[in-house]
Amino acid sequence: MYGFIWRHLPGNTWIKALISLVLVLATVYVLFQYVFPWAEPLLPFNDVTVDNQ
Amino acid sequence: MSVRVVVRTFSELCITVGAVIVLFVVYVLFWTGVKADTAMDDQIAQLEEQWAKGSASAGPGDPGSARGPGAAAPKAVAYEDGRPFAVMYIPRLGFTWNKPVLEGTRTKTLKKGLGHYASTARLGEPGNFAVAGHRRTYGDPFKDFPRLRPGDPVVLTDGTSWFTYRIDTRPYRTLPDDTAVVDPVPEKSGYTREGRYLTLTTCDPEWGHSHRLIVWAHLDETQPVEAGKPKALRR
Repeated sequence: MYGFIWRHLPGNTWIKALISLVLVLATVYVLFQYVFPWAEPLLPFNDVTVDNQ
Repeated sequence: MSVRVVVRTFSELCITVGAVIVLFVVYVLFWTGVKADTAMDDQIAQLEEQWAKGSASAGPGDPGSARGPGAAAPKAVAYEDGRPFAVMYIPRLGFTWNKPVLEGTRTKTLKKGLGHYASTARLGEPGNFAVAGHRRTYGDPFKDFPRLRPGDPVVLTDGTSWFTYRIDTRPYRTLPDDTAVVDPVPEKSGYTREGRYLTLTTCDPEWGHSHRLIVWAHLDETQPVEAGKPKALRR
């Protein structure tokens, strides 16, 4: 999977490394900004009220 | 497709899932706290700005009128859902512990501070002023909840008055559907008459949601903000 991505990135090794880094950072950003805030309320830490509003 | 490719792809997927789980733990343990601290500071700043503006524009309304415990401010506006209206101080949880109190107990609201149960009494007024807060994650506001003891002060201010509540019970453990704990006269609290009470709720155990921890307090003292900080907050 990662080998496949690497082979399909353009440029020489340095450019590939740079693009990979950007891709990784973008993934982490999307996770922290959109995926985790959605997933976190599914965990029990939010239930602090007695009427479950 | 050769076996090698299948095995390799499978292991890469496993590593990816593992990395995402680690990132998620970092998010829950650390990042929610960072975000909540910023959000709470922001809420308190908003309140202070609002109060500064309010006292400037409302001017010297009725400076002489000594307010009895919780005698409603003349311009008692309804709390707006999801907006801050008070700041809470609990010296037992740390001398610098202070959190904004917002209207409502929605998940979104509780990310920015403590939440006031919308169906319960207003701050300082007759009835039960009930507030919920996170035990863990989102800044861990009520992490040390079990350390609260009878006699501990819980101080709140709405910008015009200081309200000092005194805790009367040790943390009481109950079930999540026990809504009677926020009744005007909570049955298990030991109170028998109507009064001006405060209820704090959080979850128990620390990382779970099977139970709730409750403490009750009664209004002990009220003073206008002009009189300075109440005794409980002075060192």
